[in-house]
Amino acid sequence: MTETLSLEVERSPRELLLARAGDILQRGAVVNAGIAAVVLLLGLIAGTHIIANLFDLLRGVLLVRYSGTADLALAVVILLALLNVSLLLVVMVGVVAREVWTLPALVLVVIGNLAALVLLGFTPALVTIGFALWAGVVLRTDTQAFRVNPVMLKELRGRMRGVRAFAVMTVYLGLMSGFTLLLYLIYGTVARSSGSAAAGEIGRVLFLGVVGIELLLIIFIAPAFTAGAITGERERQTYDLLQTTLLATPSFVIGKLESALGYILLLLLSGIPLESIAFLFGGVTELELVLAFIILLVTAIALGTVGIYFSAAMPRTLVANVRAYSVILGAMFIAPVIASAVLNMINNLLFMRAGAPLSPFFEALTRYLDLLLTSVNPVETGLSTQSLLVDQRVLGFYAYTLRSDGSTIPLVSPWITFTIIYLAISAVLVVLTIRRTKETSI
Amino acid sequence: MADLIIETRDLVKKFGKFTAVNGLSLEVPAGSIYGFVGPNGAGKTTTMRMLTTLTRPTSGQAWVGGHSVTEQPRAVRRAIGYMPDEFGVYDDMRVWEYLDFFAACYDIPETERRRLIEDLLQLVDLSHRRDDMVDKLSRGMKQRLSLARTLAHDPAVLILDEPASGLDPRARVEIRELLVELARMGKTIFFSTHILADVGEICTHIGIVEAGQMIAQGSMADMRAQLQPHREITVTLRDETAVETLKSVVSALPGIVGVTELEPKNGRSRVRIDFAGDDDAVADLNAKLSGASIAILGFTEETKDLEAMFMRVTKGIVS
Repeated sequence: MTETLSLEVERSPRELLLARAGDILQRGAVVNAGIAAVVLLLGLIAGTHIIANLFDLLRGVLLVRYSGTADLALAVVILLALLNVSLLLVVMVGVVAREVWTLPALVLVVIGNLAALVLLGFTPALVTIGFALWAGVVLRTDTQAFRVNPVMLKELRGRMRGVRAFAVMTVYLGLMSGFTLLLYLIYGTVARSSGSAAAGEIGRVLFLGVVGIELLLIIFIAPAFTAGAITGERERQTYDLLQTTLLATPSFVIGKLESALGYILLLLLSGIPLESIAFLFGGVTELELVLAFIILLVTAIALGTVGIYFSAAMPRTLVANVRAYSVILGAMFIAPVIASAVLNMINNLLFMRAGAPLSPFFEALTRYLDLLLTSVNPVETGLSTQSLLVDQRVLGFYAYTLRSDGSTIPLVSPWITFTIIYLAISAVLVVLTIRRTKETSI
Repeated sequence: MADLIIETRDLVKKFGKFTAVNGLSLEVPAGSIYGFVGPNGAGKTTTMRMLTTLTRPTSGQAWVGGHSVTEQPRAVRRAIGYMPDEFGVYDDMRVWEYLDFFAACYDIPETERRRLIEDLLQLVDLSHRRDDMVDKLSRGMKQRLSLARTLAHDPAVLILDEPASGLDPRARVEIRELLVELARMGKTIFFSTHILADVGEICTHIGIVEAGQMIAQGSMADMRAQLQPHREITVTLRDETAVETLKSVVSALPGIVGVTELEPKNGRSRVRIDFAGDDDAVADLNAKLSGASIAILGFTEETKDLEAMFMRVTKGIVS
């Protein structure tokens, strides 16, 4: 018996190729994160006005064709770089898990960055385009490596079979319709008695009600779909079988996640007609519908990954469920209350000590802190995004005028920061889940 | 000795203070049907889990198909088909979907899978249940489906943990025939069992394990010879006088190790002759006895069965 250990036998050429492409994309994400950090730092320096015209200089270099103010330009650059980080990480996970959607996603990343380069003059796009093309060149020799995820296919076949999936959907839509009707009747009565029944207001209330209920359902459904994904396989003792096959851990984790999110996506899509009832009364725009959908979907993705992380980290489904729900309910309902209380306290404290309106620096700081806290909670994000959209017609970036000295700071509608933060959390959790699953496997 | 396809050296697995496998050395030649026998709790399943890369050995080394279990787990996984003792049930799956899923896990392109599934189902005689739900199958059928699954990527070695446990007699025979058929196709079959009849029937090699250690292993012929150095012939006679005549005739012959009078059975006397010699010598002995005009009613050679062999080597220790 020979004892030669050759790594060529251990990893097939295809696996080596995929690992290399994954590394390239990861490097691209790291470089983009670096760009965001450096620009943030330079922005802070520029904010102190120590170096004259630094803002304009940076805009001239990073966002050549942008017509807004220079400080806003920096915010755009930072967010675009962070968006590229998330996208490259997602594609990287896709490459390692050999997902079919990887190559189209890679092409979309390149096209998106090209568009940003041409339309906004977003020069850092060249970095992302470079890394994406490099990965594409590496993968070009073996496009056969990508395939439909077998775990996802298996799970969806099981989930969609028989009457169960359709019964769940019927009950879900039935409850939602009942709730909408109830809301309409209650609101109609109240409005009639008070004598002010603007149709637009009914529409807005119905829309908010339906989206709110959907969000609540997602908070409860998403972790339930994923918390048993890995522990369930262990408990049914099918996990051993999978481990002795050549199925890679990333494929397993991504497949589980895709199948759970696929079904949630179906539930969300089937809810759109109900949300659209608001259009009959007016007061709600298509844009709000799209934004609500994005916020719901991003919430589902993040909560789903929380569930799957605990499924990998915990030995049993029950424990995984308990942990996932404690963390999610804590983050969704308890943390915002505490956070806003703390923010209020800081606000009061600073205000009282100064005995006058806040200094511009602290006011700006509290505004940013407020934005951050808003964007870690889907409910607050939704409400704040809607009020910005309706009251100020703001969808993306805007200049906020400080009350203290009348100067402006760049701010962004919270749905953008929310999406980036939640997707980043999801990407990190997926990577951790893969690591956890591998640890327990030998 | 032929090429070894599974080899372990001083394999040890400890779970805390409990030692499940204690310095086990295993040698499975390529192309053999190897019966891995031992009492419950002897460490058979743990050994198999180490060979299938599911459990990391505490110390010692193991190779499957020339690949180290600890250094090259993926290469090992490519070489083996593993069937654990419990059937991994996926609810909501049809028979063909079950095979399709595992074939996909082994990276077999979709275009080839359809054909492969038909072939596998035909091999294990489940073609007629192709579209049935997996949990509607009988236990024997599930076991055959499981076996089909292990074959999806055409591995060189099949590692089967208790493939015949819990099956009715008919299903057991079917599995046994299937294993023989697979061995004919060139697969090495390494399976654990405590049903000795299965081993005697189909195995070319056997390893007896107890308390985490290998007590005896080798080809069936070697083991038989080793455990039973001489032949035993039982002669049934009509009465006591015949016994004396037989003793006097036999004791003069070459190769006789001993002659013992046994308890009479059904009123007939019986004598056991311990005898070292080949088939010609046995025929010769038979002719001599007939020539001596002794009233013989029966002349049979006793082959010690595996159970006796097993009882002799194992001590009944279950750690």
